[in-house]
Amino acid sequence: MKIRSDILRTYQSLHTWTGITAGLLLFIGFLAGSLTMFSDTINDWATPPGYQLGQVQSDQYELLLEQVLAQNPDSLKAVTVSFDENSSPIHWYGQGSARGFSMDDQVWHATLNEQGHLVTELRHVNELSMLIDYLHRSAGIIGEVGHDQAGVYVLGIAAFLYFLALVSGVIFLLPSLVKSFFALRKEKGPNRFWLDSHNLVGIASLPFHIIIAITVVVFSFHDLFYGGLSQVYGDKPMFGGGEKHEEVRYDIRELATLNEIKQTIHDYAPGYEVNSIRLSGLSSAHPSASISIISDRTLMRGPHNDYVFLNPFTLEIDSSTVRNESGEQSIWAAVVTSFFGLHFGSYGGELGRWLYFVMGLGGAFLFYSGNLIWLEKRRKKQSLNQSRSSHFMANLTIGVSLGCAIGMAGAFAANKWLALVSWNINIAYMWIYYLLFFVTLAGAFVYGAARFSILSLKILAVLCLLIPTNSLIAFMLPEIGIWAPDSLGDLGIELGAVGFALASLYALKHVKRRVYHGEKNSIWYCSKLSKKEVVESFS
Amino acid sequence: MAQYNKIQPHWWTKTFAGVIGGFFLTLGLVGIFAWLGPTGLTEQITEEQRLWKTQFNMWIITPIWLLILCFVYMFKTGRQAWLYLGVSAVISNVIVYLLRSQL
Repeated sequence: MKIRSDILRTYQSLHTWTGITAGLLLFIGFLAGSLTMFSDTINDWATPPGYQLGQVQSDQYELLLEQVLAQNPDSLKAVTVSFDENSSPIHWYGQGSARGFSMDDQVWHATLNEQGHLVTELRHVNELSMLIDYLHRSAGIIGEVGHDQAGVYVLGIAAFLYFLALVSGVIFLLPSLVKSFFALRKEKGPNRFWLDSHNLVGIASLPFHIIIAITVVVFSFHDLFYGGLSQVYGDKPMFGGGEKHEEVRYDIRELATLNEIKQTIHDYAPGYEVNSIRLSGLSSAHPSASISIISDRTLMRGPHNDYVFLNPFTLEIDSSTVRNESGEQSIWAAVVTSFFGLHFGSYGGELGRWLYFVMGLGGAFLFYSGNLIWLEKRRKKQSLNQSRSSHFMANLTIGVSLGCAIGMAGAFAANKWLALVSWNINIAYMWIYYLLFFVTLAGAFVYGAARFSILSLKILAVLCLLIPTNSLIAFMLPEIGIWAPDSLGDLGIELGAVGFALASLYALKHVKRRVYHGEKNSIWYCSKLSKKEVVESFS
Repeated sequence: MAQYNKIQPHWWTKTFAGVIGGFFLTLGLVGIFAWLGPTGLTEQITEEQRLWKTQFNMWIITPIWLLILCFVYMFKTGRQAWLYLGVSAVISNVIVYLLRSQL
């Protein structure tokens, strides 16, 4: 395909500058984002067995709910009945709430003991997955703007640049696309190989990236958009309107039974399974039940589920995120739901999650390789002395990308030991992450990207390997109090850690060759002599 | 002459034309669609239909805006970008204003 050369040049510059400004932010977003695919499993792994109380028989839920509501007035505000076997049968917030980002939420868990008596426990909410999700949504940028983290808006702007980079990348790749799409030219030098793999990953996962870019812009700036729309709408209501809700106060004894609620859901959304029922405002004028439902066969709107909202006294359905066949929700609902589902990867069950995990890592690779290509293009080909900006960008690339990975690996590796002491573990996660991140970033600038990449890959591999080592220790010395994996999901996380360790070791092998035996004019080159100095200065 | 026909960089003027002019043009286009398109604002619709249609209208702002932003660099000069996007933004918003006051 032929495109005018001035257009190509324009879009090449656009690709370069949008890519280099947004790349590292997006790297963190994607690396953490791919881990959020398994957030439930991560939380389960991160908490000791028995942290969640035992489930009850299916006919005991009613009794349990009744006792909780009668004995704990707090639970009338909001209480969640969960049918998930990995969580307590019932819980409600003692401090904080399910919404928003806070690290000292405390939750009451309750169950029935063998005699059928109510047992309750107050526990901190473990938020290891929340740390990952926080990094995913804000790239770890500190500060708040309005009701959201500042980082959310920064990533929103990065998503603009990301979309521009995608389109411009495709445009200036078009002329050579057919010829070199599947070519991975190793023989033409490492730079060509990086470029080929960057193009291959980018084009192969293009639809995924387009969806992610669009949805991130919406997630960050929907307030602005709704504000603009309200101008366009004039006097017309955006939501609700028309019917007036009559204020009725219900007697708690009129509350529908859980089975009635389940039956209503079953009729409304066949094919779905009820995962949990959250009852809120039971003593207020606006009681509501939000029922979380799961189906592996459709596109779900939430990260893990769909919702139906209904009145728990009258069983009247208020709204839902389910597309049902009654035609009421039509094409508009289908498109909106698809955007959500396609961002969250909440379709296709386990397989879908794994696919998104892989594509997320692929995205992180895309941004990392993009930075490498930028560095390689800008360096002076025939000189040992490279410009300061090249060194700065190299240090930043290594420092940020490995800093993020090391920070997260550190939080995972320390998790089981942190749980031994009774403190707020969520604050400990944050300290570990930021400490490791900033130390790695500083290290990259002090020692230079080339040398430091070797050390930091070693650290990353060690931290990843500590995760299964902890479990081994737990297995052999159970008296210490840390716990071994006890489910398939737990094992998956340990195996994943081993996988990341192997990947770092593989990268380490190549990085070493690049640093010690690579092209002398490369910014990645350090002579053998300096290796000794490095070893000495670190030991 | 050939030199004159080439695309000028004008990065900042074009970018601002795409961000600001592009946003208002998008809002105008979505506004026209919201009023005159199917399940429009003049129709009697249920609360549930409105819930989804408004969300849909909000969602399509982003892809339209982003596409304008991507192709704003095809304008020869920054001034042209502002001219075309600005004029169409004004026209589309005037139409929305008329729809709002007439319907």
